[in-house]
Formats: sequence, structure tokens, C-alpha cells
Amino acid sequence: MNNKLKVLRAMQGWSQAELADRLDVSRQAVNAIETGKYDPSLPLAFKLSRVFAMPIEEIFDDGHEGAGDDR
Amino acid sequence: MATKEQAMTGERKHPRRPLSPRRRRYWLSLGLAAIIGGVIGGWMAADRGAAALVSNGPVSESFAIGTSIAWAVGLAICMLVYHRAIDDHEERAWLWAGLAGWYAFIFPAPVWWILHRAELAPPADAMLLFLLSMAVNGAVYLWLKFR
Repeated sequence: MNNKLKVLRAMQGWSQAELADRLDVSRQAVNAIETGKYDPSLPLAFKLSRVFAMPIEEIFDDGHEGAGDDR
Repeated sequence: MATKEQAMTGERKHPRRPLSPRRRRYWLSLGLAAIIGGVIGGWMAADRGAAALVSNGPVSESFAIGTSIAWAVGLAICMLVYHRAIDDHEERAWLWAGLAGWYAFIFPAPVWWILHRAELAPPADAMLLFLLSMAVNGAVYLWLKFR
């Protein structure tokens, strides 16, 4: 799953360690999410959403355009 | 001046906030595990014959009872603290590593046992299987956690 975490973090001027502190996870976890090696759990995704004050779907992109339109 | 790694990860020195309760529990569990490992290792070095871990040679009763309690009880306590402290990413690494370690035991153990019954192999060595399982577990955990 693609995400904008690295860009968002850079916009805030935070290091991976600083973001990890804010999320109460390890720096390795932040690095793994940024590099696409690990998709966070839903609670962690919500935490990211709160830290960056934006919806989850603006941080993460699962590659599906117009999700929910195929009902 | 930032190092190459710092430039790539955005890592730089900054005043760290105090350890969160989760991180405190995490380091407590690792510290406890290190102390238990150190005690067992030191005792093993001091006890006659115990230094050869992959061996069925005799050890003293005190060493056998002491290290059994330290391993079973100490490890259980460490694991309880550890699992309450790890984040999602580490939990995933731990679970996959545990599965890999389990496979590294269940694939070779019956093969070795049945080959021995046909006198095609020496008797199965539980400690060698344990060490193989732990080695695979450790390798997968480190790869998933730090790659």
C-alpha cells in the first residue's frame, strides 16, 4: 500500500524518531511504513490520522480509485 | 553535519521525550531477559560439564533446577511484559518469526525420528532441533524488524 508518510513527516520537519515518539512506536516501525514494507494496523492508521490531522485515505492509497462507488 | 543515514531517514539528534510507559515496559522486558541470560550463562561457565550446551553430559542438580526455573519462570515473566510493550510492527515480526521457528522444528523433527527408527540416522537430538528453531526464529525476527 502506498502512503505519503515521508512527505507529511518532512513537511512537519520531524525525524522518524520524533514521529515514532508521537505515535509511541519504534523508529523501525515508522521506517517500515514509509518504505512500504509494513502496512500499519487500523488503530495505528487512526493514530497517524490524528497526528497529521487528516483522513486516513489522504495518507494511504490502496490503489483503488473511487473506492465505495461499486456498490 | 548530517550523516548519509541521517539524511536518508530524516534522523537527527533531538531532545528525546521521557520514555513512554510502553517503551519503559519494553526495555524492562529486554533487561530482565538479558539478566536471566547472563545468570544462566555465568552459571553454565562455572558449572562442571554444563558449558557444552549441545551435549547430554551430566550437570549438577543445583544447576539443572536453577536454570530450569530461571528459564521457565523468568522467560514467562519477560514474555508477559514484552507482549504488553511491543508495537504492531514488532508484533508482526515476532509472530512470523515464531511461525518460522515452529516450522523449523516440525519439519525436521519427525523426519529425523523416523530415519532413526530405520537406523538411517543417529537418535534425534532435542537440543539441536531447539537451537535450529531458535536460530530460524531469530533470523526471521531480525530481518522483519530491521530490514
